[in-house]
Parts: sequence; structure tokens; C-alpha cells
Amino acid sequence: MNPNEVDILLVDDSQDDIDLTLHALRAENLANSIFVARDGEEALDFLFCSGAHAQRSFDSPPKLVLLDLKLPKVDGMQVLKRVKGDARTKIIPVVLMTSSKEEQDLVIGYNLGANSYIQKPVDFDEFRKAVKLLGLYWLVVNQPPLATGKLKAAKQGQ
Amino acid sequence: MSSAGTKLEVQDSTQSKAKLQVLLVEDNLADAELMLRELRRDGFDIATTVVQTRAEFRRGIKEGFPDIILADYNLGDWRGVEALEILQGEALDIPVIMVTGALGDVTAVECIKQGAMDYVLKDGLARLPEAIRRALREKHERSLRHQAEQDLARKVDELARSNADLEQFAYVASHDLQEPLRMVVAYTQLLSERYKGKLDENADKFLGYASEGAQRMQVLIRDLLAFSRVGRQEAVSGSVDCNAVMAEVLQSLASTVEDSGAVVTHGALPDVWADRTQVAQVLQNLIQNAIKFRSKEALVVSVQAEKAAQNWLFSVRDNGIGIAPEYAESIFVVFQRLHARDEYAGNGMGLAICKKIVERYGGRIWVESQAGSGSTFKFTLPAHGPEERVAEQA
Amino acid sequence: MKTAPELLIVDDNPADVVLAREALAGSAHHCQINSVGDGVEALAFLNRTGDYATRVRPDLVMLDLNLPKKDGLTVLAAVKADPDLRRIPVVIFSTSQLGRDITRCYKMGANCYISKPGNLHDYFSAVKSIEEFWFGFASLPEQGE
Repeated sequence: MNPNEVDILLVDDSQDDIDLTLHALRAENLANSIFVARDGEEALDFLFCSGAHAQRSFDSPPKLVLLDLKLPKVDGMQVLKRVKGDARTKIIPVVLMTSSKEEQDLVIGYNLGANSYIQKPVDFDEFRKAVKLLGLYWLVVNQPPLATGKLKAAKQGQ
Repeated sequence: MSSAGTKLEVQDSTQSKAKLQVLLVEDNLADAELMLRELRRDGFDIATTVVQTRAEFRRGIKEGFPDIILADYNLGDWRGVEALEILQGEALDIPVIMVTGALGDVTAVECIKQGAMDYVLKDGLARLPEAIRRALREKHERSLRHQAEQDLARKVDELARSNADLEQFAYVASHDLQEPLRMVVAYTQLLSERYKGKLDENADKFLGYASEGAQRMQVLIRDLLAFSRVGRQEAVSGSVDCNAVMAEVLQSLASTVEDSGAVVTHGALPDVWADRTQVAQVLQNLIQNAIKFRSKEALVVSVQAEKAAQNWLFSVRDNGIGIAPEYAESIFVVFQRLHARDEYAGNGMGLAICKKIVERYGGRIWVESQAGSGSTFKFTLPAHGPEERVAEQA
Repeated sequence: MKTAPELLIVDDNPADVVLAREALAGSAHHCQINSVGDGVEALAFLNRTGDYATRVRPDLVMLDLNLPKKDGLTVLAAVKADPDLRRIPVVIFSTSQLGRDITRCYKMGANCYISKPGNLHDYFSAVKSIEEFWFGFASLPEQGE
């Protein structure tokens, strides 16, 4: 996969949840390429084009970041704060996808600039439905921000 | 005879327009008188100024507005040819006839080369009137031509400005029309759905027509907007890799190509100097047309390019229904369609847009076709940017 | 998720507001729809000043960009700069498809950007998707106080 052509960055440390999410997204043909980061540090490296992901470019951000809150190394809120606090990355849509039910987290998350917040359903089927709807909404209904330097020829025609 | 530098005849200002203003560059006043006598004898109504020095000459041409200059070659400390140089230096177009004593052929030719209209020998003054008449005629023709060129330049300028205004208008109109149109489309559709079968049967039909009409208008305006954008947008011209563009076009047309069972192939395509998006638009429109106007045979489309001087000549060939030669030009006209709306969808903008784009880069587009035996659309685009083009020509 | 969620539509075209109401009529979430026609009214509503003193803060805002008095971007900036208001998700719902408009909205903190489609079916579909996602799946902060 071309690191500069990633549609979705999935940040989660639960293998079960990762598998379910990937399965659901692929079933809907929603994303050509999904990159999985298993901790906050890797997520930051990916988005800030550093460390193991130094060859990535700020000009080709993912269209969507699905971010769990409970992560090793650097937790989700920290990642969110850094992404939304930097002009180079703040326009990337970030959806918090977490099992946390804390009202605290909700408020803090939205205040930090999370584009949306989803509570991971416990039920297998509900989870899949949620991911499908998420993908449809954020990749099909929604217009992601256009990356700098990448003018979509198709859109210009309209 | 009065001293040099003064007018020999008093000019009556009301008559001066009709009189021929002659500037004589002559240090021998007797010779001057002889020349004037010859002219008067031939019917010329002249007003003359005689000058002898460079300074007087300069003043004479700048302040006197002479119609013609008669200059001797030998002027004491200067030569008549210098007058020609001075004249050119002042960028004045006044015919000069050298009137001189014996002049070697070489010198005579030199004078003509320097810009003299003619030369007449002092012992052959009978030729002078005709020489003057011819010189004046040529000057007159030159003036007319110059005037015509200026008029043309001004008209071209006006036309360019008028064109720009029209494009601006088309853009603003189609852009601003979209909003109210969206309302008409949405509400006729809503009415259709909400009241289907609830009013009399005519109502359903009427609403259907209104709805269809509005939607068709929407497409038309979108296309008009696209057409008017071609000229307006800042085209980012650069070197465009047509192989890459072709790949992108085929990808965005993937489902259309698949549904139609068409086979689209292309040879190695070159780099051209243009705006990448617009090149894509041209290729896309032509291939879409080929798919739309295919025949019962399995559609085969082939895109090739060959070098033609400073340009690349592209050809998009298909085995579709073809176009009768008498329509070969009108198909490129905006909104011009050859088929009824229910035979083939579309509103005739695609080729007009191609033409506009190609011509923007100084290229041409045309079609070679016969009804029933496929079409080959050909167009040219520059191979290089302006600097490289100049270098190639040098 | 929420019972009777509150939606604020900010749009100067009453015909568009009616379309949105039509699209959402009969929605399972029973969302309460309020609408205002310009940027000044929008901020008054959100800040609960003047005539809007007794209003409840909306759970979601659908914001058009072309508004009289104060345009959509201005409203967006004001909302996202306010510590009490910034948690409210703002969906930009506009006819503009210009890349620079879209990017600017995201830069100002818009939660998402949806283009108003040109025909009825797609328009309804878009509005319903917005409602279904935000009131049916997403978790929203309480807008109490």
C-alpha cells in the first residue's frame, strides 16, 4: 500500500475490534486502503510523517481517522490534542471510537476538536452496522477536506 | 529673390490645405526657381519653403508639415542623403525626391536604399512632376494601409474585450442560475411525489413535464458553466504526461467502458504543454462520445499520437455510427446536436468544450468520418512551452 | 440515542428549510427543528440572548455558508472559539463545492461538510443521513445548563 494513499487510519489496540472494523469496511467497499496503528505513538508518527513514517507527506492525509481512546504509549486524547492542535493536521476528520461511556470524555473530546464520537457497540452486529454507517457517512456523504496540492479533476468539472 | 530660409510665396491659410507643401533642400536658389517653375507649369499649386542647412531642414520637417521633399545631393558642407537619415531619425514618413546634378549610378542606388522615393536629374526636370505625383500616390496608399491596420488593431482589441465580457456573463449567469433552478427542481419533484394520483391525471402529466424540463435545464446550466470556465480558469500550463492522464481518464470512465463492452486502447502518448485537467477533459469527452455513439458492433476505440512540427497530433478513432461530412463542422458548435433527444442523451456541449480547450492552446480539432463507418477525431496540442518553442525556432 | 434532540438549521432560504423539515418529518428520533435566517440570529440563538433567552442549546447545528449579516464562516468561527459552544457539532450544509471553501471550513473547526444536492431525492437522502448519523449513532455531549 502506498503510504501516501491511505484512506483511513485506524488506531486501536484490540485485535478483535480491528478485525471487525476492517471486515465491515471492506464488505462495503468503503476504503481502498486502511492503515492500522496499534498505539498512540505510531498514530502520531503516521500523521506527523515522522519516525517509521518519515516518507509520508503532509500533502496526502488520510480521509478519516478512527481513534480509540485507550491506547498504549500515547493515549487517544493526547493524539487528538496534538492532531487538532497543529495547523498541518487539524483539518483531518477524526472520529473517536471508544468503549468509554464517560460524559467527561465526550465533552473533552468534542472540545478538543474531535469531529465526532462513537461509543463502540458491545453487540457484534451493532458494531458492524456502526462501522458501516460511519464509513458511509464520513467517506461518501461527507466531503473530506481536499489535501493541498491535490486538485480533484472530477470535482473541478462541476 | 529673398534670402534662403524664407518662404518664396506667401501662404494664405485658407488655401494652404489645397496647396502642395513642398520643402526644398537646395543651396542654389536659381536651381530652386527652375524646379518650381517646372511644377507650376505642370499645374501644381504649391507652397514652398527652401532650406539649406541641417538645422533648417530639421525645423522645416518638424514645423512645416511638408507633403514632399525635394533635395539636392550636393549641399555644400553636407549631402542630401543625410536629410534622409534625419528624416528617419524623426520617424517621419515624407516622400523624398533627390533632384540633383549628374549622379553616378552607385550614388543614385545608395539614395534609393537610404529611402529616397526617386531621383531626377536637374537637366531632366520634365520628369519631376510625374515623379512627384507617383511619390504622393504611393504615400497616400501607405497612409490608407496604415490606417486600415490601426482600425483592425482597434477592432481586435474591442473584440477581445467583448469576448471577455461575454465569458464573464456566461459564467455569472450560469452560476447564479443554479440556485433558483435547484428550488424549481426540488419542489416540482416534491409536488410530483406528494400529489401523485391525488389530483386529476393531467396534473401528474403536467408536473412530470415541469420536473423534466427543470432537470434538463439543470444539466444544461452545469454544462454551460463548465464551458464558460474553460476560458476563465487560470490554466496551469505545464508539461503534461498524456499517458498518465489517459490512465486517469480510463479509470474515471471505468464503469461506462465496462457497461458498454468497449475496448479502449492507446499507443505511447507524448508530453504536451497544456493544463492537465483540460487535457483530461478533452480525452474524456471524446471517449465518452465514442461510447455514446457506438454502433451494434463491439466498440473499439484507439487513441494515437504523432509528431507534427511543433505540435502533437492526436487521433481518437472509433468504429461507431459515424458522422456525415456535411455535419463535420457544426458538431463543434455549442448545443448543436445531430440526433433527437430520445435517440441519444446529452445536450451537445462536449465537443464545443473540446474545441474551446484545444484552441486555447493554439491547436485545431476536427473529425474525419462517414456516416456508418466510424469517426476519427483529431486534435493538436503544443509539444513545448513558449520558451522552448522559441529556442527550437532559433 | 437522545430523546427529542434539538436541531438548529441556519439557512437564509426558507425553501431549503422547508425541504429539510419535509425530509425529517416522521423521523424516528423526533428531532425538534428550529431555524434562523442569518448569522446574527444564529449567534443570538446559540448564546440565548434577546428573544432567544428561553431557548435550549441545540444538539446539532446545520449551517449554510451564504448568510446575510454574518456569513456562515463567521458563525462557525464564533461557535468554535466559545468554550461553551464549541462542543456542539456543526455540519456545514452548503451548495458550494469549491475546494477552498471546504478546506476553510475544516480549518475553522467544522465537524463535517455536506454539499446540498441538486435534486430532491439526493437532498432528502443527505438530510436524513445527517440526522441518522448524529442523532442515531454518534454520542453527543449533554447540552444542559
